[in-house]
Amino acid sequence: MRRSLMVAAMAVLAAPGLAFAQTAAAAPGDARGWIGPYAVLVAGFAMAFAAGLCGLGQGRAVAAAVDAMARQPGAAARIQTAMIIGLALIESLAIYVLVVAMILLFVQPIK
Amino acid sequence: MDVIEHPPIFRLPGIPDHVTYTWVVMIVLTAVAFLASRNVQLVPRGTQNFMEVILEQFQQLIDDVMGPEGRRYLPFIATLGLFILAGNLVGLIPGFAGPTANLNTTAACAVIVFVAYHYIGVRKQGALTYLAHFTGPVPLALKPLMFVIEIISHLARPLSLTLRLFGNMVGGHILLAIIFFLMGLQGLIGWALSGSIGGAVVGGVGGIVMIAFTVGFLYPLKMLVSLLQAFIFVMLTMLYISGAIEEADHGHGAEHGHGSGHH
Repeated sequence: MRRSLMVAAMAVLAAPGLAFAQTAAAAPGDARGWIGPYAVLVAGFAMAFAAGLCGLGQGRAVAAAVDAMARQPGAAARIQTAMIIGLALIESLAIYVLVVAMILLFVQPIK
Repeated sequence: MDVIEHPPIFRLPGIPDHVTYTWVVMIVLTAVAFLASRNVQLVPRGTQNFMEVILEQFQQLIDDVMGPEGRRYLPFIATLGLFILAGNLVGLIPGFAGPTANLNTTAACAVIVFVAYHYIGVRKQGALTYLAHFTGPVPLALKPLMFVIEIISHLARPLSLTLRLFGNMVGGHILLAIIFFLMGLQGLIGWALSGSIGGAVVGGVGGIVMIAFTVGFLYPLKMLVSLLQAFIFVMLTMLYISGAIEEADHGHGAEHGHGSGHH
């Protein structure tokens, strides 16, 4: 079961290269390389992993902050400020991945 | 980016859009400031009242985070915050471009913050004392390593400020564009106008649901993100400035606490 899943995943990952090889054979004068389709795949997967892990991290942070706020309602404002700063710092890691994904998709430095 | 984003309606030829809309934001802010301070009264009314409320919020924030020391930096912080907030919100108006959704604008703001807090730190403590505090409260043998690490961490600050604001704004715009593509507003409207009853039902209902979703959910979300990002930018600026000011006391305090704990 696991083996067939791995084979399927490898086939999916190899598909853009194969598909592009066929079109390249059709148009040999095309200067574009084979990286483009992989860049799209990588951008999507990278953003998915980054969003998921960032969500886990932010969830832990918010859980701890809400717990603290429930125990100490008087300190809620300061805890909230600290929580928002922490969330911004955690989120910026996912934002880096978003920027990299956008560079891969729109700027395309490596063709 | 041009693939998914429609160019703004009002463009000056030969000038990039984000510069044009930076000027729009500047004109709006200057006009509001002029209106508010044209006829200053003891009991404020109208625009003056509005601006005083906003500036009091900034002052409260500065008092909370930086203490009474920070009042001097209110003009810098409030200007930065108002510019970023207005820039974020201008990007939400259909047909306008957001100046903060461009890497150049956000990088300019972050570089200003970077230069400003080092300048404030050097002014406050003197160049050598300020440089010495990059090494932190560690044994002498570790100080060179600490210095390099601190330099890298300080260089990462403007980078993260830039990318956080830029990424959040552009991410919101891409989200909006993708939702439009995904639900196919043009196709739905085409169906609704095609004349057949089924088309009118499916296209009309679909278009209304989509517009309701966008206006009712995505726009408030983006407004929240705009406010939050302006707040976070200002907050981090204040933390960096207060770090540059108070580093002397803080370092000694940490060393002292460590020593007494060891005894």
